[in-house]
Amino acid sequence: MGQTFQILGFFLIVLTLLMQWETYVKGVIWLFSISSFVVALFLVLLGLSHPGQGYLLFVLAGLTVSVRGIIIPLIMNKALRSLYKKPWRVREDRPMLGIGGSILVSLILILIGFFIYQNSLYEVLKIKSGAVPFALFMQASLLIISRKNAYIQMMGFLVMENAVVMLSGWVFSGLPFVVEAGAILDLLGLVVVSSLIIRVREEAIMQEGDSFEKELRG
Amino acid sequence: MQYSTYLLPLAISLCGALLCIIRGAYFEKIVSIVAASGVLIATVSNLWKADNISGFFYVDGLSKILMLTIALIYLTTVLYSTAYLKHIKNPLFQSRLYYILLNIFAAAMFFSVIADNLGLIWVGIEATTVTSALLVATENDQVTIESAWRYVIIVSTGLVISLISTTFIFGASGTLSLHVLLQHHPTNRVFLIGLLLGLIGFGTKAGIFPMHTWPDVHGKAPSPVSAIFSGVLLPVALYAMARLIQVSALPAVRIFSLVLGILTVIVAALMMTVQTNYKRMFAYSSMENMGMILVGFALGGSGVIGAAIVILAHGLAKSGVFFLTGDVLSTYHSTDIADIHSLFKRMPRSAFGLFLGSMAVTGAPPFAIFAGELFILAQLIQSYGWLLAVVLILFLAIAFIAVNYRTGKMIFTGTHGGIAEQHRWETWIPLINLSLSVLVLFMIPYFEQLLKPFFKP
Repeated sequence: MGQTFQILGFFLIVLTLLMQWETYVKGVIWLFSISSFVVALFLVLLGLSHPGQGYLLFVLAGLTVSVRGIIIPLIMNKALRSLYKKPWRVREDRPMLGIGGSILVSLILILIGFFIYQNSLYEVLKIKSGAVPFALFMQASLLIISRKNAYIQMMGFLVMENAVVMLSGWVFSGLPFVVEAGAILDLLGLVVVSSLIIRVREEAIMQEGDSFEKELRG
Repeated sequence: MQYSTYLLPLAISLCGALLCIIRGAYFEKIVSIVAASGVLIATVSNLWKADNISGFFYVDGLSKILMLTIALIYLTTVLYSTAYLKHIKNPLFQSRLYYILLNIFAAAMFFSVIADNLGLIWVGIEATTVTSALLVATENDQVTIESAWRYVIIVSTGLVISLISTTFIFGASGTLSLHVLLQHHPTNRVFLIGLLLGLIGFGTKAGIFPMHTWPDVHGKAPSPVSAIFSGVLLPVALYAMARLIQVSALPAVRIFSLVLGILTVIVAALMMTVQTNYKRMFAYSSMENMGMILVGFALGGSGVIGAAIVILAHGLAKSGVFFLTGDVLSTYHSTDIADIHSLFKRMPRSAFGLFLGSMAVTGAPPFAIFAGELFILAQLIQSYGWLLAVVLILFLAIAFIAVNYRTGKMIFTGTHGGIAEQHRWETWIPLINLSLSVLVLFMIPYFEQLLKPFFKP
């Protein structure tokens, strides 16, 4: 089972790297959806390896697929459609890093994630591939910092949440169900509210530019 | 069943939110005022009830003080909002939705301060982000929308760190229940890392250094929202930090909190000296006060009593100040300090309130914040000697001068303009809050009694 988890973890890192290099917003949303399905698969496998509390993990996997894998991407896509005539052409046009730079920084961050884990938690936890969620977390942080497009920043935040699910399940055998379920519901609420704010924000930027930056400085 | 009264504030505010869905002239305002009044009555009656520490609730003296602060600011914010919303020319949504969100926001805060489970406290605090993000954007201009977005992304990212911390704490101790953690006080390395991450994560929401970048964003929110953010949302996040400090038997956690608290005061004081926007200046003043509260919690002993005094007194005084900035903004149509002159001549009542308010929030005697800071400083001297206390006093003095100099400039300089103040009933609300913040002084013996079992230095 350990090796299967490692493969899933590796797959999640690859998906996040692809998000980092993807410039089209719709592409990032689909990549997030796929990564959420991978997280749900991970939870199902975790449930199979913990027969006592398996049913709660299956429920959690169902919630993950429905909320993170389906509903959130649908909400984000709907928000895109309502704002743009050609939503598939919406892209990050002001990335802080070029493709080459983002590949380099992504790889460095993965190494930093492994380094932090090996030197802080590995001695205590003794799980070799426990660094995967940390590497994912670092990748998601880069996605938020290096992009100006609010939809992609939101996706970065959601990937962070996926990293936490991986961390809690893989390294610590899960959080209490009520907390995990509460977190998913909060996440759903946050995405709905954020979609509204992003939509109004993008409309304002399209009409007036981003002259507000000066007023928010200091 | 006996203790279900602790659920009343949460239940009443949620019912208020639900009833606001019904359409009717002024209906949402009346419902919200009734709900907030009911919440205050329920909260005050709970003050004399026994603590409840069980598998579901964790209600002790600190929770009660937080509940009282939330209830008072919630009621005054609802009252002030009924008048303030009329001045918003192009609101993002109908006023019904504003009141629905405000009521749920209050309910989420009540939930956070009574839950016995660190994970559920996290859920409650994250729920405050969901409900309050749209409130920031109420005024529907580009700057407030951008502020709302920054608020969402910064605070949510910080809260992911605290979710990771929750995972670590659960992994290290096998429980998230506060009362169980308090019995066992785990000391292993994973638990320590969890606590430190939690302090940083919840610190983001509380405006604590180094994740302090969002409080200036709430300076852009509508005045009633700024008031409830500064007055209670920041302390609710600090409440989670206080619980993390409480469950730890490791000195490193207290020292880390103390360092974060002192750095927060220093950074906020320095930021205040360069502010040109009066709302943002008062937002940084909130950050400074949160730093002092964190120092109090980290020290324990009389520091905790000081922290509790600052929480209630600052909540009342700062909400009053933000209500007054709403009055100033609706007359001058600017948040730039340079644009505000002759306030005392044009708006004497607001100017008087703002003068008192800025003195109160910067800890001038005889306001209760002064007494709270004295408690904290006395404990600091007792625990760590004079040097740290002198550094802290120096930066408190810088903050005092920065805020009062600028406020004085707005109030007393300039000679032009006639009376512009309208004698509306809502202009009394900030003055009532400021008066109450003085009266907190008389509650100090009661606070000592409430918090006796809480912390030892």
